[in-house]
Amino acid sequence: MTVLFAVVIALAAVSSLGVVFSRQTIYSALSLVLTVSMLAVLFLLLNAQFLFAVQLIIYAGAVMVLFVFIVALLSPDAEDRPALDLRAVIGITGVVVVTALVFIAARNGITYSTNGFHGTVVGTASDPYHTFNFPQDAVNNAGNVQTVAGQLFTNYLLPFEITSMLLLVAAIGAVYLTRRSSR
Amino acid sequence: MIGPDDLWWVLLIKCGVLVVFLLTAFAYLTLAERKISARIQLRYGPNRVGPFGMLQPAADGLKLFFKENVAPAERDKILYLVGPSLAGGAALLAYAVIPWGTNNWFGHVFHWDIAHVNVGLLFILGVTSLGVYSLFLGGFASNSKYSLLGGLRSSAQLISYEMAVSFALIGVVILSGSLDLEHIVGSQQGLWFIVLQPLAFILYFTAAFAETNRLPFDLPEAETELIAGYHTEYSAMRFGLYFLGEYINMVTVCSIATALFLGGWLPLLPFHPFDWIPGPIWFLGKVLVLLFVMIWVRWTLPRLRYDRLMNFGWKVLMPLGLINIVVTGAVVALRA
Repeated sequence: MTVLFAVVIALAAVSSLGVVFSRQTIYSALSLVLTVSMLAVLFLLLNAQFLFAVQLIIYAGAVMVLFVFIVALLSPDAEDRPALDLRAVIGITGVVVVTALVFIAARNGITYSTNGFHGTVVGTASDPYHTFNFPQDAVNNAGNVQTVAGQLFTNYLLPFEITSMLLLVAAIGAVYLTRRSSR
Repeated sequence: MIGPDDLWWVLLIKCGVLVVFLLTAFAYLTLAERKISARIQLRYGPNRVGPFGMLQPAADGLKLFFKENVAPAERDKILYLVGPSLAGGAALLAYAVIPWGTNNWFGHVFHWDIAHVNVGLLFILGVTSLGVYSLFLGGFASNSKYSLLGGLRSSAQLISYEMAVSFALIGVVILSGSLDLEHIVGSQQGLWFIVLQPLAFILYFTAAFAETNRLPFDLPEAETELIAGYHTEYSAMRFGLYFLGEYINMVTVCSIATALFLGGWLPLLPFHPFDWIPGPIWFLGKVLVLLFVMIWVRWTLPRLRYDRLMNFGWKVLMPLGLINIVVTGAVVALRA
C-alpha cells in the first residue's frame, strides 16, 4: 500500500511539473489531466471511492476535456524559451521548500492512525454526523456516498445551496454572453 | 472474512478470463455485424473462411497485425500512439466492475466481477468519460483536417451525451437507493427496472449509441463527410485498437443496460425451469439481445446531421431525463 502511495504521489508530482515545463500547450493540458487522475487514485487509496469517481468524472472527464478542446482549436505554437531558466530554478526551489515545510509540519503536529484522521471533534459520539471524526470503518459501513450526502444536506446545506446558485448564475451568464444577438 | 475473491491468483485468473472473453466478443461482434448487415441488405455476408465464415475474425485479425503501419510524417509522435492505446485500455478497464452474479461455492461467496466497488456505477461513468481523450488525441495528433474535425466532434458529442446518460441513470439509483451495481441488480428481484423506468431505459439506450459512436450518431467518423473521422490516418493494428475499443464499449453499455434495467443475472421468471439456468448465462443472453438491437439499428437508420444531433441531446434527451428524475423522486418520496 505504501509503495502504491509513493508511486502515485511521484507520478502526480512529475506530471504537475510537466504542466509547468512543457513547451507545447497541449502537453501542459494533458499533464494536468494526468495530475488530476493521480489525485483521484490517491482518493481511492484512502478509501474515498465516491470522491475518486467524482474527481474523475468532473475534472478529468469534463473540465479538462474542454481545456484540451480549446487548446486544440486555437493550436498555439510551442513556446520559445529555454527548458531551464531563472524562473524554473526559483520555482523548483519554492516547491522543495514548501514540501519540506509540509513534511516537517506533518511529523510534528498531525497524527495519523489506522482508524482514520483525528481532527477536531465537534458533536457527540451518539450523533456522528455532527463530528469531523470519521473512522474508516464507520464511513465504509454507511458507504462513502451516504456519509458525504449526510454532511452535505445537513451541516453544510446553506453553503451547498449557495454554491449551486453561484454555478447556476455563472451558467446563465455564459449562455447570455455567448448568445448570438438577434438584432 | 477472506473469501476466494481476495486470493491473488483467483483475481489473476478472473482478469485473464475477462480479457479473453472481451477479445472473443470483439472478434465475433465484427462477424455478427457483417452477417446481420448482410441479411438486412439481402446478401450472404462472409461465408468462405471456415463453416459459416466462423474463422473470418481470425483472418481479419491476422491481416491487421501484418499490414503496414502508414502514419503521417507531420504527426505528433507521442500522442499519435497514446490515442489508440487509451481507446483499448479505457474500454477494458470499465468492464472490471460489471456484475455477472455471485455463486456460493463450498461455503464461500464467489463474485464473478473483478472488482467490487461500492460506487460501481460512478466508476464506470468516470472511466468511460476518459474514453473521450482517445478519440480526441487520435484526431488531434494525426495532423489532418478530417481527423481534427472528427476529434472535435467526438469530444463535443461525448460530453453532451454523457449528461443524458447520467440523468437517465439517476432514476434507477433513486429506486434502488444504491450506486453498487450488485445491489441494484438485487433490488430488481420480482420486477425489473425497465418496467418501472421505461423512459430512463429508452433515454439511456439512445444516448448509448452516441457514446459508442454508432449510427445514427456516428458523426465523429461519418465517412461521407470526414472519410473516417478521427481514425482517418490510422492503419493496421493502431486502427485495430480503435476498432476494438468501439466494439468493447458496445459490450459495456449493453452490460450496464442489462444490469440496471433488465435484471442482470436474474432469470426471466423466478421459478422452475427458468432458475435452473445459471445467472451468468442469463446475463450473457440479455447482453446479446441488446447487442443485436444495436447492430439492427445501425443498418436500418440514416445518420443525423451534426447540429440536429446536438439539439437532440440537449433539447430532447436532457429535459426528458430531468422530468424522469423529478417524477421518480416525487413518487419515491410520497410512497416513503
